[in-house]
Amino acid sequence: MKTNVITNFLILMTSAMVFQGCGPSGSDKSKVSGKLEGTISISGAFALYPMAVKWTEEFQKENPGVRIDISAGGAGKGMTDALSGMVDLGMVSREISQAEIDKGAWFIAVTKDAVMPTISTENPVLKDLQAKGFTKEIFQELFLTENPHTWGEFIDVPNTDKIIVYTRSDACGAAEMWGKYLGKNQESLRGVGVFGDPGIANAVKQDKFSIGFNNVNYAYDLKTRKNYEGMIVLPIDQNGNRTIDPEENFYGNLDSVMAAIQSGRYPSPPARDLYFVSNGKPVKPAVVAFLDWILSSGQQFVHEAGYVELSDTKISSEREKLK
Amino acid sequence: MKKRKQIEEKFFRVLMFISTNLIVIILLLIIFSILYKGLPALSWSMISQTPKGGFYFGKEGGILNAIIGSLYLSIGSTLLATAIGLPVALFMNVILVKHKRFIDTIRFFLDLLWGIPSIVYGAFGFTIMIYFGIQTSLLAGIITVTLFIIPIMVRAMDEVLKTVPVGLLETSLSLGSTHSETAFKVFLRQASPGLVTAILLSFGRAIGDAASVLFTTGYTDHIPTSLGQPTATLPLSIFFQLSSPIEEVQERAYASAVVLTVIILVISVLARLYAKRYQKHKINF
Amino acid sequence: MKFRIGRHLRSRLHLIWMIISLMIVILLPFILGIGLYIKSTLLLEDKKFGELLFSSDWRPLSGHFGFLTFAISSVWVTVLALLIAGPICLLTAIHLTQYAKNWVLKIMHPVIDILAGIPSVIFGVWGILVIVPFISKVIAPMFGVETSGYTILTGAIVLAVMIIPFVLNILIDVFKMVPDELKEASLSLGASKWQTIKLVLLRKAIPGIISAFGLGVSRAFGETIAVLMVVGNVTKIPSGIFQPGYPLPALIANNYGEMLSIPMYDSALMLAALILFFVVLVFNFLSRVAIVRLEKHTS
Repeated sequence: MKTNVITNFLILMTSAMVFQGCGPSGSDKSKVSGKLEGTISISGAFALYPMAVKWTEEFQKENPGVRIDISAGGAGKGMTDALSGMVDLGMVSREISQAEIDKGAWFIAVTKDAVMPTISTENPVLKDLQAKGFTKEIFQELFLTENPHTWGEFIDVPNTDKIIVYTRSDACGAAEMWGKYLGKNQESLRGVGVFGDPGIANAVKQDKFSIGFNNVNYAYDLKTRKNYEGMIVLPIDQNGNRTIDPEENFYGNLDSVMAAIQSGRYPSPPARDLYFVSNGKPVKPAVVAFLDWILSSGQQFVHEAGYVELSDTKISSEREKLK
Repeated sequence: MKKRKQIEEKFFRVLMFISTNLIVIILLLIIFSILYKGLPALSWSMISQTPKGGFYFGKEGGILNAIIGSLYLSIGSTLLATAIGLPVALFMNVILVKHKRFIDTIRFFLDLLWGIPSIVYGAFGFTIMIYFGIQTSLLAGIITVTLFIIPIMVRAMDEVLKTVPVGLLETSLSLGSTHSETAFKVFLRQASPGLVTAILLSFGRAIGDAASVLFTTGYTDHIPTSLGQPTATLPLSIFFQLSSPIEEVQERAYASAVVLTVIILVISVLARLYAKRYQKHKINF
Repeated sequence: MKFRIGRHLRSRLHLIWMIISLMIVILLPFILGIGLYIKSTLLLEDKKFGELLFSSDWRPLSGHFGFLTFAISSVWVTVLALLIAGPICLLTAIHLTQYAKNWVLKIMHPVIDILAGIPSVIFGVWGILVIVPFISKVIAPMFGVETSGYTILTGAIVLAVMIIPFVLNILIDVFKMVPDELKEASLSLGASKWQTIKLVLLRKAIPGIISAFGLGVSRAFGETIAVLMVVGNVTKIPSGIFQPGYPLPALIANNYGEMLSIPMYDSALMLAALILFFVVLVFNFLSRVAIVRLEKHTS
């Protein structure tokens, strides 16, 4: 009888589903006969995403019993998910606020990178922009107000193309840090909101009159160590003399950019530490092992992935937190 | 006077012709643009591999995680919704048949529920998840999507069951069956092609919806092996990967779009076939 | 004997199954509403609802949650979508039910059904591929406006295409409901076909037309993903259709990630969802009532 079959099938399916593991941590056995097992779920900042993926790959090579799920959705999501227990680790690309610490946020720095202003390679005055750069004041005018401006205005060139400003629509560390650099925060940024770092990179690439901002490894291709096709970083004129002096000019390839971040030649903010956040100190063996690994063997992969290593003192103090 | 009326009529007839054709053209345009971008991206490795190097970033691999994830999610939620929806539809049309006002109230309720946007279900599902401490997972997604498609499923089934002649009910009862036997054995069998159409349509809605899974199911590169794990879905595969500046990542989005569109088209065709079979199948008293 | 007990037990179980399911379905909207309301109370205790709805100051970090910007964006996009889809649906519905030959209707049915089944993301992709460049490169220059293409108008066009199948289906049913006798009477009195349509059919069908549009509104108001992908997501009251907008569903979808780190943000987003819930419910309700009334009048 049709109904019998359906009923029986449904009962079987439901019981199978219920018993298979609908709890929050899934299968989580600790070290069994020396092998580490368990699952780790990670979500959050696009900034940390590529690094986390690389770390996961390498860590899983040594510990095949551990399964790690990573998704990106912005630093805000990482914090929310971590604090609510939705994920084991949140990736956060900005400073942790006191309110978040009060809610139970435990955080550990794992690497450094930076947010950089980006424009399209089709920009009509690209050469002049690269020679002169923009000062912080110009960025403030563009990103914090809605006054219309042309590309020619700030570099003394007769160009009347309107500047189209893009920002991030999702709650993220990149916008927060960029805002901080300009003296405010993400909310004060004005511009067309696009979701995600890849999103704004794409918008900048497609619109030749655009200006936006990106995490350094969404602007530079890890393989070629040069800017991704179609978009390029707009140099920051830090001393305000309306030229990019040799010591300000490190934007040619990824490695010189990273050296600049590490030495402090690139301003911080928007350079920043990147954190993993959890709700209280992590207790899952797999998670603790992963974090410890990151601060030891994991650091060797940082450079290749387009990030800046933490200083040795920083690493030891962070590792202390795990104990 | 007459001339003016004729011109007016002619004018509107032209407009009508244009607007009818416009709709067909738009549909073709949509399908064409998806295929145009997606077919080149489609390859065996695309549908048989998961993304390598992170779905936002890595250049190799494909969308198998999204395909399997979506299938798990949609099949799970469709089954669950059928388990809840089918009895309700049967109850309304077999047992409550005499209480017209009661049925009409339920129908009214269902019509109200029917239009509630999936994001409301998603937001609600997210709240429930936090309350119960469930992580973003296949299970959370299934529950949310099930709630979302229940009104759709029940309404569609109700439409089908409405057309089963009352005479059937009376005959069956007079032969000694209980009400629920009549419902599950007689009406079900009679209406089965139509009910299959309803199930297919609900499946189509379930697999294509993004707002309900955005908060609840998460996203991952892996294929889920248990209900407690997050899973990738085709709609989110498109949403997240579409706006990437990295070509290979964008390709995955377009490939997902094609796969999703093809699945929907196949379901539409199947649903129509079953609907036709139902028409032929119907007994009339 | 054994057989009898088995049968009755099974029947009982089936009955229980049916009733439990019915309870679930009936309770669903209440649970939804109450759940969302409970989450929103945190914010509602702090500020008055009127203040929230009519303020355009949206700065969650400083505790300001003015929904006006998003409400207005939603209204703009929805109304515009209806203005675009409405005439198309009316014209097509009249054509299909009054003028076209049978085979045309036969072809249109699958077309409409397929259009109705296409997922929201796909419309979003199509919007980005086709409509955004169309607006920024073709339409905007015609009006002398410069825009990125991510505008209210773009959102409205995509939305219009999405609601066409629903509104159209209802209109077709509504027009079919108008009894032939009325039309024949009008024709026999000397009116032309077109006059009949204008003065008899449409007039009789007005409640049905309103209802169809009402349902279109409720669908358009709640549509999330497709609109989000093309509408610009700028938190500012749009000053024209070539400006970006930020409808209510997009607000929820974009910001759910930040929900727990900022106090009361989750309440605010749940309140937004609740508002959405109610608007849709109200429009659905009014539309259904109008259809029921039409059915009573024409039967």
